[in-house]
Amino acid sequence: MISFILRRLASAVPTLFIVVTISFFLMRFAPGGPFNLERPLPPATMENLMRTYHLDQPLWSQYVTYLSNAVTGDFGPSYIYHDNNVAQLIGKGLPYSMELGFYALILAVVGGVIAGTIAALRQNSFIDFAVMSISTVGVTVPNFVVGPVLTLIFAIMLSWLPAGGWGDGSFRFLILPMIALALPQLAVFARLTRGSMIEALNTDHIRTAKAYGLPSRVVVVTHAMRGALLPVVSYLAPCAAALLTGSAVVETIFTIPGVGRYFVLGAINRDYTLVMGTVILIAIFVIVFNLLVDILYGLLDPRVRHD
Amino acid sequence: MIEMNDSILAVRGLKVDFSTPDGTVEAVKGIDLDVRSGETLAVVGESGSGKSQTMMGIMGLLAKNGTVTGSARYRGKELIGLSPKGLNSVRGSKITMIFQEPMTSLDPLYTIGRQIAEPIVHHRGGTFKEARKRVLELLELVGIPEPGRRIDSYPHELSGGQRQRVMIAMALANEPDILIADEPTTALDVTIQAQILDLLKSLQKRFGMAIVLITHDLGIVKHFADRVAVMRRGEVVEQGTTAEIFERPKADYTKMLLAAEPSGHKAPPADRAPIILEGRDVAVDYTIPGGLFRGASTVFRAVDGVNLRLKQGQTIGIVGESGSGKSTLGRALLRLLPSSGYYRFGTTDISGFDRSAMRPLRRELQLVFQDPYGSLSPRRTVGEIITEGLYVHEPELSRAERDRRAIAALKEVGLDPASRNRYPHEFSGGQRQRIAIARAMILKPKVVILDEPTSALDRSVQGQVIELLRDLQMKHGLSYIFISHDLSVVKAMSDYVIVMKNGRIVEEGETDAIFQAPKEAYTKTLIGAAFNL
Repeated sequence: MISFILRRLASAVPTLFIVVTISFFLMRFAPGGPFNLERPLPPATMENLMRTYHLDQPLWSQYVTYLSNAVTGDFGPSYIYHDNNVAQLIGKGLPYSMELGFYALILAVVGGVIAGTIAALRQNSFIDFAVMSISTVGVTVPNFVVGPVLTLIFAIMLSWLPAGGWGDGSFRFLILPMIALALPQLAVFARLTRGSMIEALNTDHIRTAKAYGLPSRVVVVTHAMRGALLPVVSYLAPCAAALLTGSAVVETIFTIPGVGRYFVLGAINRDYTLVMGTVILIAIFVIVFNLLVDILYGLLDPRVRHD
Repeated sequence: MIEMNDSILAVRGLKVDFSTPDGTVEAVKGIDLDVRSGETLAVVGESGSGKSQTMMGIMGLLAKNGTVTGSARYRGKELIGLSPKGLNSVRGSKITMIFQEPMTSLDPLYTIGRQIAEPIVHHRGGTFKEARKRVLELLELVGIPEPGRRIDSYPHELSGGQRQRVMIAMALANEPDILIADEPTTALDVTIQAQILDLLKSLQKRFGMAIVLITHDLGIVKHFADRVAVMRRGEVVEQGTTAEIFERPKADYTKMLLAAEPSGHKAPPADRAPIILEGRDVAVDYTIPGGLFRGASTVFRAVDGVNLRLKQGQTIGIVGESGSGKSTLGRALLRLLPSSGYYRFGTTDISGFDRSAMRPLRRELQLVFQDPYGSLSPRRTVGEIITEGLYVHEPELSRAERDRRAIAALKEVGLDPASRNRYPHEFSGGQRQRIAIARAMILKPKVVILDEPTSALDRSVQGQVIELLRDLQMKHGLSYIFISHDLSVVKAMSDYVIVMKNGRIVEEGETDAIFQAPKEAYTKTLIGAAFNL
């Protein structure tokens, strides 16, 4: 087990290297730059800026500099947010994004698995139909629609919850953005669970469990659900990485000071270092969660051995 | 007539219906059965006869679209219409079941110890820890080696036979009155089959439970059952003691079933018959790939230095249990997979032939597979399927000529030529196997490798397919390599037999010599297991 984890972490290094390299060069080959504003800067100012940020160096030397700095944890200055470097920006925003994302993840997994299981047990009934319709809505309606609608109903019309901001960080402020963030993922989990649960309920060993007079709660929870959760667990890794690193849309609508916005803002502003920083952040999350999920998979399914 | 006095399970007018998009299907049409205390009742029939659905109906295990009506009284207690909770007090304790597929019948995610303990804990109370001692006793009882170690194994770590022993341990856990065994040995190799049946017999003697044996295999019934009920199309056509049924069958269907055991044998070809296919030092390796962090790949030798010479007009039967390398050998002889050795077809050395060099020879070297459903494309008509090879090997044929050939091939295998415009799913298993044979025969091959061609078929259909293959051989002077784990079929088909184990030939010789005076211990076990259960 330990050696499995070490091997996986070792293989993460080349993965990260490739991600960094590809994004670095892709960014630079895209037209525009951090200082190409609507009104062009005077050539002298431009030259000055380029020199300050070493953007006048050949591309490969910038790349080497970036890599060698990144290894030491220095992800460079932000070109747009002059007061902070990239590590500081991410360090400040990440706790907000992670807290919100964590609650959203719990809601998505628990809600999705319960809804999917109920739908599978009552296959083709009204409840099944209702769950599946709602989850279709969850997948198709974008969260920039869900967010404002939630705000309109619960913050403005009913005045139950705050319309946005982090406030004092109490849970009240998190409820609406959490729902907006979780809903599409909850829908995916519900669909995945329903499908694999229906399959699991039709297996021979469920027939055996019934033939041996086990109570239906045991048949469903102990035998069907554990097998049915395996495909659900596989989806957990990309989903957790996406939710915990923040969402630009939800953070903008609810004015949450998280890191989700930086990816989009960085890309629009050609803030090279900020984009690189968020790319690395997301890549690390994906790698770590894939590893965690693989370990969890091994615990759930004895046929998968990590040795 | 059935005596009612000691019947512990009395089934009266039992019906099972399935509602399908095409209307209601009556799987069981009002049958009467009695299971007496301590006896073995065999319910015999071919697939689709309703024999399994009868028991599933009684146990409340039908698929969602199934309904059961009528009456089934266990010691006076009506089971039909009982709530799941009410049924749960009987199933798993008084009446238990074992199934055909011991792999899929066990939950892959729990240890066998825990799964055997489950019915104990739920019916008798107590904790899993307390049940562990009883589980160890049960594992010992069903002959699992090293129960103390095996109790914490997962199903995938056991062999097929051991898994079925685990199922039997589970079935015995609460000392049942009735054990329903639904094709308990069908998925197992012959030697394992015999062991499992012996185990069931000795356990029955010891604990005195009744066994309901659901099977299509009359060989098992004859040696195992006290009474037999023969089912066909949802009805019981005949029931009586085993001796009555086997010696004085009354119903025509029973007579037909009994006569369906493959019989006859094939005379060897003339001594001077030329050798048509030869393989020398045939070896096939499978590589289990390694990975960047997984270390070196490992090599598994599936066929290990086999020599085989097939004469014109000869049928060589290759027998062996699953994993013995018999199918791999067949494919290697046809040069369908990478292998080493020397190969000769007629007078041509084909050892170094690649795919394109082999292509002109393919029409003369044909292959027929076990699963007639999986090997026929579901989206093409029978006519398209059987003429496909003609496009490759005789592209000059006109459309009308191809059609004539298709009609002739279908007639030859005993199918209505009009069926060439229909699709494979519209045919029964036996008919599909005939289509697969027609597909091979239309090319007028010299050598046909038959890989378990009858294993997926019911006995009565098996006999017909064997007859057909023998007729075709006589008519066209074909040479066969007949691969099968079913010794009675091999005995009826071949004039020469090769016994394989772990990729090597254990014994070979003329069919009569092998079956009547086997020399090797392994051959003796195989034959003993197949013919005197």
